[in-house]
Amino acid sequence: MKGKELLAQLHEAASSPKKQLEKYLAQGKKVVAVAPVYTPNEIIHSMGLVPMGVWGADVEINEAKKYFPAFICSIMQTALELGIKGEYDGVSAIVIPSLCDSLKCLGQNWKYAVKNIPFIPMTYPQNRKPDYGKKFTKAGYARVISDLTIATGAQFSEFALAESIKVYNEHNAVMREFAEIAADADITAAARNDVFKSAWFMLPEEHTAIVKKLNEALKAGPKAKGKLRVLVTGILADSPSLLKIFDENGVKVVFDDVAHESRQYRTDVPDMENPVDAMAQKFADMGNCTLLYDPDKNRVDYIVEQAKAHKADGVIVLMTKFCDPEEFDYVPIKRACAAAGLKHLNIEVDRQMVNYQQAATMVQAFKEMF
Amino acid sequence: MAEEVKKSRPAPDPNSAKFKLGQIAAKAYSDAMEAKKRGEKIGWCASNFPVEIPATLGLYVCYPENQAAGIAARGGGERMCNVSEGDGYSNDICAYARISLAYAKLKEAPEQDMPMPDFMLCCNNICNCMIKWYENIAKELNIPMIMIDIPFNPDYEVSDAETEYIKAQFWDAIHQLEEITGKKWTDEQFKKVMEYSGRASRAWIEATSQAKYVPSPFNGFDLLNHMAVMVTARGTAQAGDAMETLLKEYIDNHEKGVSTFRAEEKYRIMFEGIACWPWLRVTSTGLKSRGINMVTTIYADAFGFIYDDFDGMCRAYANVPNCMNLEHSRDKRVKLCRENHVEGLLVHTNRSCKLWSGFMPEMSRQIGEACGIPVTSFDGDQADPRNFSEAQYDTRVQGLMEIMEANKGGNE
Ligand code: SF4
Ligand code: SF4
Repeated sequence: MKGKELLAQLHEAASSPKKQLEKYLAQGKKVVAVAPVYTPNEIIHSMGLVPMGVWGADVEINEAKKYFPAFICSIMQTALELGIKGEYDGVSAIVIPSLCDSLKCLGQNWKYAVKNIPFIPMTYPQNRKPDYGKKFTKAGYARVISDLTIATGAQFSEFALAESIKVYNEHNAVMREFAEIAADADITAAARNDVFKSAWFMLPEEHTAIVKKLNEALKAGPKAKGKLRVLVTGILADSPSLLKIFDENGVKVVFDDVAHESRQYRTDVPDMENPVDAMAQKFADMGNCTLLYDPDKNRVDYIVEQAKAHKADGVIVLMTKFCDPEEFDYVPIKRACAAAGLKHLNIEVDRQMVNYQQAATMVQAFKEMF
Repeated sequence: MAEEVKKSRPAPDPNSAKFKLGQIAAKAYSDAMEAKKRGEKIGWCASNFPVEIPATLGLYVCYPENQAAGIAARGGGERMCNVSEGDGYSNDICAYARISLAYAKLKEAPEQDMPMPDFMLCCNNICNCMIKWYENIAKELNIPMIMIDIPFNPDYEVSDAETEYIKAQFWDAIHQLEEITGKKWTDEQFKKVMEYSGRASRAWIEATSQAKYVPSPFNGFDLLNHMAVMVTARGTAQAGDAMETLLKEYIDNHEKGVSTFRAEEKYRIMFEGIACWPWLRVTSTGLKSRGINMVTTIYADAFGFIYDDFDGMCRAYANVPNCMNLEHSRDKRVKLCRENHVEGLLVHTNRSCKLWSGFMPEMSRQIGEACGIPVTSFDGDQADPRNFSEAQYDTRVQGLMEIMEANKGGNE
């Protein structure tokens, strides 16, 4: 299959999660929704369930207003809105971690707003590296496993988890490879996003198979030329209108530090005797993320390093409105970029944005700075 | 600065709880200042960090949230927020954090100074916003950060796994602090601190529960000031003494039929949320002028750090507001409403505090239903004056009063 066709396939999955849900349900599978930013998807998968991402959508907020005040990010607002409106009907449960204050609130509101889809909390430790932290991570997993069994009847086995870990590690590798190939390949920002977004709505083994082929096609295909190379950082970068502005202005995403994209694939589950221990070790090994305790602000250095490694001309911060963790990180990121001689642009985004004129003007002006 | 403020007011009775409590709060700052001058290492500490740890080690710490509230109450909130915003911090970020980040940069504020920190003591049992705020200051000032992670508890009870996790972190924090400061932990000293904290907590709970009387012997706005001592000094003998004085005064008030609520108490409400410090007078007058006494808040329960041992302490710190699930949080409030004969709930939808406000609409609906009382909310902010509208507040309070009045009619 040609690159174009593969991308079309991924675009289709990325833009119609409902169809994907129905497809899996029709196959007799049970689907478990997973909320941002990290959830133990390997475990869910190992129990024969299909994890599907819930990152809200570009829709109006009506019903969710009864639960959330206006100053909660639109990812939480629209995820709840879709839940209330029945968009996720058919899903067996939702796993919501409590990694930011707004996520804590989503879990609490979910119980009353979307009664037909049980809420399963995943409590991660912030002190995730010491042994006591890993032990607590495992307690969180045990809770998720037992709640999943109650919600779906599915059973857990370490053997199956070990198999799923292989599937996920392979997917991680393929996604990392894609990000590297896409840095130079002739691929639009919109298409690049389709590859990441579709991963949330497909089984990893299916997604891996397509992306592997895509990687080959892209490697063999033409390279992008004459573009402004940027590293994009933020929680989410999936707005079609915004990505269109990038593409129209010759802005090329050469790497990302986006929670919805590459942050998911950086860390593999290590090879250890016990797969649950290995899962906890993976979480301990994760970092460079605003939601994971980071006293040295390694994430900030990481962004600068990656920008340089990918020969980025600048950094674009896509700031999800009302996302306070990212808003805190913005200032050190801004300073580090300045110190490293990297120009940066901060664009505030949310899921209710209708007027992209300002963003377009900002991107144009940014381009002219080079 | 503290003296200037005092001079402008009539001299209070030095034996009164108000005076004692004011002294303790002011002394917390001056002691830390002096210790810093002596060359001791000073910490900045989150309000619900286990104060038993620095208290047992004999460390001086300051509380950025308390400082930010003080700065905001004295009119400096907007100025300080502007400084942080000028540096690139979004105005969506909690105003306490914005004020604190500005102070870390300016290192002075005429409204409330405090010594610069040598280490940061963070505990996220009230919010994860705290983690990012402290991370940034620790990095900026190049000082160590000690992080006690007490995750939001999705369950009603604190699990053994969580207690164990917290306990391990407490010991880790103790050892880190011993290393940083050279001070030593002793179990005897911990026992003493635990007793002080228990004594202050018991007296606080008892004092706030005097609102069970109708009329209440106190104006609930008093609690917003007095609780500063529970935040900053509950591990000291003086705090216990001052809280017992407060309790005694409230009992006396009841017996004499007087109250610090200086108006006829026609309605009794619970106030939900942090005070609007920049608009304290306006929010208080808006109630008092209508004969509405705020008889209770969750703070009445929040500082009940009563426990018998180290494990109990670990669990107590997981049972603070903002760390409990909706049902547990709701039941605590329902209990306060019932015990204190509350007739209405006034909710501060606090622009700064996502966690406190993020499931409040549902929780307050449930409280209203459980107690059969009206619920009204208003938009505000605990420290940024720009997020409050006097007109909206007035309309909402008037509306609440009218329903409470109608309810009284219905009961007759
Ligand atoms: S966008 Fe930010 S505030 Fe919203 S859920 Fe994600 S991390 Fe939390
Ligand atoms: S006001 Fe809320 S967000 Fe701010 S420090 Fe307090 S608990 Fe955290």
